[in-house]
Amino acid sequence: MTALLVSIRGLTLEARTARGTARILSDIDLDIGRGRILGIVGESGSGKSSLASCLLRLLPANVTRLDGVVDFAGTNLLALDEPAMAAWRGTRIAMIFQDPMTALNPLFTIGTHLVDVIRRRTPGLPRRDALTRAEAMLERVAIADPAQRLASYPHELSGGMRQRVMIAMALLAGPELLLADEPTTALDATVEAQIVALLEELRRDIDGSIVFISHHLGLVAQLCDDICVMYGGTVVETGPVAEVLAAPRHPYTRALLACEIDQDDSGRLISIAGEVPDPIARPPGCVFAPRCDRAEPRCRSEAPALRVVAPDRRSACHFAETLA
Amino acid sequence: MTALRPLVQVLRQVCGTVPGALGFAIVLVVLGAAIFAPWVATHDPDRLDIMNRFAAPSAAHWLGTDHLGRDLYSRLVHGASIAMAVALSAIAAALTAGTLLGILAAWMPPRGEAAVLILFDVISSFPSLVLALAIVAVFGPSTFMVVVIAGITLTPHFGRVARAQVLTLRSAPFLEAERILGAGLPRIVFRHILPNIMGPLIVLASMDIPVVITIEAGLSFLGLGVRPPLASWGVLIQDGYQYLSDSWVPVVVSSAALAVATLGFTLFGEALRDAVDPRIRQER
Amino acid sequence: MTAPLALFDRASVVFGRARALDGVTLALPRGAITGLVGESGSGKTTLCRALLGLTPLSEGSVAFDGTDLRTHLAGGAKAFRRRVQMLLQDAVASLSPRMTIGRTLEEPLHIHGIDLVEGRARLAAILRRLGLPADIAGKFPHQISGGQARRVGVARALVMRPELIVADEPTAGLDVSVQGELLNLLLDLQRELGLTYLLVSHNLNVVRRITDRTAVMYLGQIVEEAPTAPLFRRPAHPYTTALLSTNPSLHAAQRRGRIVLQGEIPSMLAPPPGCRFHTRCPVAQSRCMRDAPALKEAEPGRRVRCHFPFSLPLPS
Repeated sequence: MTALLVSIRGLTLEARTARGTARILSDIDLDIGRGRILGIVGESGSGKSSLASCLLRLLPANVTRLDGVVDFAGTNLLALDEPAMAAWRGTRIAMIFQDPMTALNPLFTIGTHLVDVIRRRTPGLPRRDALTRAEAMLERVAIADPAQRLASYPHELSGGMRQRVMIAMALLAGPELLLADEPTTALDATVEAQIVALLEELRRDIDGSIVFISHHLGLVAQLCDDICVMYGGTVVETGPVAEVLAAPRHPYTRALLACEIDQDDSGRLISIAGEVPDPIARPPGCVFAPRCDRAEPRCRSEAPALRVVAPDRRSACHFAETLA
Repeated sequence: MTALRPLVQVLRQVCGTVPGALGFAIVLVVLGAAIFAPWVATHDPDRLDIMNRFAAPSAAHWLGTDHLGRDLYSRLVHGASIAMAVALSAIAAALTAGTLLGILAAWMPPRGEAAVLILFDVISSFPSLVLALAIVAVFGPSTFMVVVIAGITLTPHFGRVARAQVLTLRSAPFLEAERILGAGLPRIVFRHILPNIMGPLIVLASMDIPVVITIEAGLSFLGLGVRPPLASWGVLIQDGYQYLSDSWVPVVVSSAALAVATLGFTLFGEALRDAVDPRIRQER
Repeated sequence: MTAPLALFDRASVVFGRARALDGVTLALPRGAITGLVGESGSGKTTLCRALLGLTPLSEGSVAFDGTDLRTHLAGGAKAFRRRVQMLLQDAVASLSPRMTIGRTLEEPLHIHGIDLVEGRARLAAILRRLGLPADIAGKFPHQISGGQARRVGVARALVMRPELIVADEPTAGLDVSVQGELLNLLLDLQRELGLTYLLVSHNLNVVRRITDRTAVMYLGQIVEEAPTAPLFRRPAHPYTTALLSTNPSLHAAQRRGRIVLQGEIPSMLAPPPGCRFHTRCPVAQSRCMRDAPALKEAEPGRRVRCHFPFSLPLPS
């Protein structure tokens, strides 16, 4: 097992909504290894984006409860005061969003955005030097005419180029942890392929760890080392990508894989019956039990803990051993 | 019943804040006074009692009497019904005309749209007092003319909001879906667009009620609106103003009524806007 | 072979200086599912809108059931609307936000003057068939799930018993766990009712799995059109090859090499001269920069717009 960068224990997040208190994350345990790419997969409402928000501690105002420990290289992020946390964002932890347009200020040029990031890292650097460094970084993320692009405004770039700028900003920050929330979902297939190729190429240059959040299992399989499968605000399975996909140890992971339409299938398409759990009225016991075809009485009363089921692998199923 | 549920919900939200609850209470009082004026009033508002002019507030005359000995409280209550009648009819007229023109503008080719917008600009840039003078010069002062003047002045408010609302809706998928189903333009406008743009327009209407009340009071004060002896708030203020040296009570009491009503409708309108706007609602 | 249900004949749509749809010739065979793939700006949406008569053609023609679309659209188009329906991409937003689902579902009955008693009976049967709970009629669009909104859209389209359904990204925004259910439903309806579909999707797995024929679009033109299975097995146009190669497989053993195209999709306002794809084509030759290739038959049943078809194979 590699050294850990982040170790999350018992992370629980609740928020007040019009209908009642919603439990968005429930008792999350998760490790992020140094220099590893962790893919977090799950359907809508699984809590994968909320987990990223917890790592950045950018939470909506209606949060009523945030418990647990997010140990980041020895520091509990949840215990930091707001100014200290703000100093971490954009330096030690950086993020790439699904829609770069929302993350870039429409009134500033690309150059200004990049210089801001560089100056956060090295205060007092002359603007001219910072711009030179910014130009070099744009070149590295394969943006044509980098000198010209520095003077462009975000709306003048295509979606793919904006995402490259976001990646350049993340690389300039040199973070220990890079969060990428569905970074290619809004892009066209051939542009997505370019960005994925770029990320694959850059992963050697990035010292830190990457958390890659996606609903696209194929992409995670291709890009990531480890995988974390989330469902209904809980982690149901973690482990090395290839092993988990080859032999899932949780019925949800298994069902999710069966739903994927892969090469040379035939016959009826598979889906998981039922609806995702309501975060306001979560089922007692295992969150997946109402949709699980192997559920037994015990599953409906007793919530399974996420436990080690094989070296480097954990599953939150009472019957993980019998699934193999 | 289902149609009432959102209304109850919105009102509950309005009353959830102190200004909103205060505004709603004032609105209820003013509306109550306006509707039940004959029963709420203690005297005939027009009955003269010259012997009793400028009487101080007493058990017989709660707010005292004016320069002709008329009961001030009863005149205020009847003034509320005139103010409400004028305000509601002017708003209804402006809402209807503005909404139709606004929808039309959003749906017309660019040249027609520009014509409607220019019409709105002309009305807005024309001082309403000059408009009032012109109309009164031709038709003479009357309560109806106050409604006409206020209605014309406010039409661009509703027109602009309606047009902006329709523009944001025009490419909405559910309207496209209606077209694909084969619905004609009237059905799309009246069944699908109108219900979706009414929220902001109704909020605007509630915020424009005090504007009409002040227009009415102002015109009546100048002798261009409601004619004495009809007890409009503007007429009351004017009467009180003329006899200010004899008694300060009438002018202060009637001005206070106008101020409180204006404040109440404004607070209510603002709370309504916040309650209806989903973005503001979510932050609570 | 019977006559196609819909036929585009050199159809073009010009918006200002942009040719959003450029000389498209395409047949939609009766009872078959035709898939349409391509990236944003390729003209997929314009093609769908032209087929529904929502966007007028600038050149060429579209025929539905042998009759020109303009004839169908003349005089209210109500009969035509009953025969051709569309499932919009954003299913939740395609439902009127202040109407209950029940009222939304009855809209087609009112619009087309279908007898309410009969129509409601038909609706009830459809709702049962689609597995929608009966109490959904009293709910508002924001109270139902994305999957349910999709099925409500299908139900609304089916009440009129259409012959052709245009489905624009029917699985967009749906979780994998429910997309299979929706696709099975579309397939079942096709078999039971003999429906013809035009299915637009960026999800290549979905297209490969459920369509009979596939058309690939690039910058307003069809670059390849063929029966789905051979097209996915052995793409002829280099753009098709590149597109298919970007589709990552879950299993390492099946994962192929990926062809990463250079550059951006050119602007519709200034399409490249010659072959529109030559600026990004890995196997372009000098001829491609000069001569625009025509869409011509490369083998029986397969049309390709390329001077050198099959020159870029799928990587292994």
